Amino acid sequence: MIGPRGRKKKGKATASGTMENEEHKYDLMLKDIWAKVRTKHFFPEMPNPTISDSMDRVAMETKSKQITLSQPFIEEAAKRLQPERVIEALLDHGVAHYTYCPWDFHTHLMLYQEAKKVLKDKEMAQKSTDYFMDVVADTHCFKEKETPISDLYCHMDRGILDEAIHALYQRIWGKDLSVQGYEEISRKLSRIPYLDRKPWPDSIRRFSKIIQGLLELEKKSGTLNQPSPMGQNDFGRYTEQELDQGLKEFAMSTGNPGSFSEVVTDFEEELQEAGFNTSSGMGFGPGSPLDADILFYMKLAENYSLPIKRTPIEKSGSLYPVSHSPWELGKPFRDIDPWTSFGKIMPAITQIWERREGDTFGEEEGTPNCIVAIDSSGSMTNPRQQLSYAVLGAACASDAYLRNDAKVAVYNFSDAQHGGRKTLDYTRHRKQIYQSVCHYFGGGTRLDIKDLDSLQEPSRPDIFIITDMQITNLEALISYLNGHENRVTAVHIGENRHVMQFKRSMGIRKNISIYSVQKKQDIPKIVLGKIREYFRSVS
Amino acid sequence: MINPFEDFREYPYKKKEIPLDRIVRAKEKIMDEIVEGYLKLVEEEVKDLVWLVEHSRLVRAYSAAIRTVEKLDYDIDDIEELCLELDREGRIPYLISGPAGIYLSALCNNAGEENIRLRLHELKRTFHFLGYRLPQGKTLILQGDVGDFIGAGLSGGKLVVEGSTGNWAGAGMMDGEIHITGHTGRNMGEWMGGGEIHVEGYIGGIGKSIRGGRIYQQGNLIRPYDRTTR
Repeated sequence: MIGPRGRKKKGKATASGTMENEEHKYDLMLKDIWAKVRTKHFFPEMPNPTISDSMDRVAMETKSKQITLSQPFIEEAAKRLQPERVIEALLDHGVAHYTYCPWDFHTHLMLYQEAKKVLKDKEMAQKSTDYFMDVVADTHCFKEKETPISDLYCHMDRGILDEAIHALYQRIWGKDLSVQGYEEISRKLSRIPYLDRKPWPDSIRRFSKIIQGLLELEKKSGTLNQPSPMGQNDFGRYTEQELDQGLKEFAMSTGNPGSFSEVVTDFEEELQEAGFNTSSGMGFGPGSPLDADILFYMKLAENYSLPIKRTPIEKSGSLYPVSHSPWELGKPFRDIDPWTSFGKIMPAITQIWERREGDTFGEEEGTPNCIVAIDSSGSMTNPRQQLSYAVLGAACASDAYLRNDAKVAVYNFSDAQHGGRKTLDYTRHRKQIYQSVCHYFGGGTRLDIKDLDSLQEPSRPDIFIITDMQITNLEALISYLNGHENRVTAVHIGENRHVMQFKRSMGIRKNISIYSVQKKQDIPKIVLGKIREYFRSVS
Repeated sequence: MINPFEDFREYPYKKKEIPLDRIVRAKEKIMDEIVEGYLKLVEEEVKDLVWLVEHSRLVRAYSAAIRTVEKLDYDIDDIEELCLELDREGRIPYLISGPAGIYLSALCNNAGEENIRLRLHELKRTFHFLGYRLPQGKTLILQGDVGDFIGAGLSGGKLVVEGSTGNWAGAGMMDGEIHITGHTGRNMGEWMGGGEIHVEGYIGGIGKSIRGGRIYQQGNLIRPYDRTTR
């Protein structure tokens, strides 16, 4: 619940004036200290922090970049340290996570991935990642800024791992934090170059290996899931755009559906809680379980922006009803829609049809719909096991048409005559398209021309076909494409005699462009619907 | 006119040095020296990148390694870090398991600490000759599987392998103990002159020429009795 000054409160209203005064005191304090902290950290783009009196377990939390401090924690810590310094230390800690480590969602995922490689356990890897990020952020603060973090840590309640980490701080900061023991662990941990970003993947692996014993101890004692006193570094701190961008970069950096899905599947719930979803129906909202493999290709495809040559489309001249608007005096009666006007002629109640001019091929340019035909036979890579260039290419093509307001139909085939086919009618539903594109049949390769033809429409859609050309009825495909005027982008994976045959037969056609994809980097070279002077010759 | 940098007037421009900087710098320096020593050994002993296991070569390589490491001021964390460096490609351009093991053994034997534990189970590669000539008073614990000639020429130390070994474990050992929790390969204890080998798992084969010492499997003495095991 948000109070009048943006303060988050418990459900009940504050009764006494003393409590209100206390709250007001903290709000004023926070305002002043936030200005100081912002200056210190070079004005990070973060909203004003708040104080909540309902957080009992942790000192702070960050949601969509906004830091919320726990009033009970501040009051407790204020018994041993000035409240101003407690607030400053907490804000320094929170801001350093934003400005230094992890910095972004991609780095967060990468660190988790490396920790998981060593620890092989989600909870332990998560905890190790949290502590690593805390050590980096706090050490950065301690070295680069004037901060009271070390004073705060002196007086904090600690678990086993906190003790070890504070022993490390004692060693690498040269400050007495009143920790005894943990000599060997802190000595080993102190050798890690926390402030050097480049070796972070290696550093977190070593960090995780060193604290593995303590993590196992916490797991056995059931305290592993308890948040650390400074709060958990969960995904709630990122905005939806940051999550989206992070997944895109993570898909690109892993380059492997297996590694991507291993990490993303671990965080299915967290991502949903953090509100990750997209308006295009491609997210994983309620009732839509996450398919990490599909998400991988979806995010990877977003890194490649394939250009589409637009076809000339002109206004048809005829008007057709599109939407309703309220009728006003002076507007024609003939457009009134009696069904939505409750049979009344009255301004603001009566509705009239808004009409728009239709499009047709002509001198203005537009993007036609597209049939994506993808070969998922046994000779093609299984997209769930390895990075499939065919699926990535088809995903990029679909993405490009969808971004240009066109619809996409999918024909996924292996041995079509024996049931190895999947057809999706024209749609703009991204998730359905990716599901169809990512489907893997295996087996032989024979397409059914009737299936492909059933997706043809009078507006002459583009055809994007991606295959290794080892199709048993390749001649039928060649003759079909020869008999139609659609713009065709044919992409072949690898080189073989069938590719040569296809190139020989289709090379002279001006409405067909042929591309070869041998590696991921070849994909951006594809220009969809690019035709050598085809439209010029037609016009 | 407003100075846009006014807010930063109080900002401390001088970088603060914290102990972490010194620790990392010192570690980097010693690691550079250790790696340089290893590369020099490889350069001298493995000129054609092929290293044959001959007694004279072993003695020469170990002597060269000891001469190098005696000059270095390192601890067990540095030894463990060298294992990690040897395992991944980057700082060290090539790993030759034999000389790498000899060099690591020289580092362990010359280290100030009496008890040394090397965590090797996460490594992709295995090292040979670990525990070579481990002297009396030293305990070396190797966690994870290791290569051939483990504990060769053992000289009174205690070598514990928490994993399995390759062939020729304890070859030519003179004194001390080897404890292996996993399995061993062939020719175990070949040319053994003294000491004890304890194996918990399977033994691939025992050396033919054993001059002294005792071999136990799961607590049972199997050498010097004339009985062969698989």
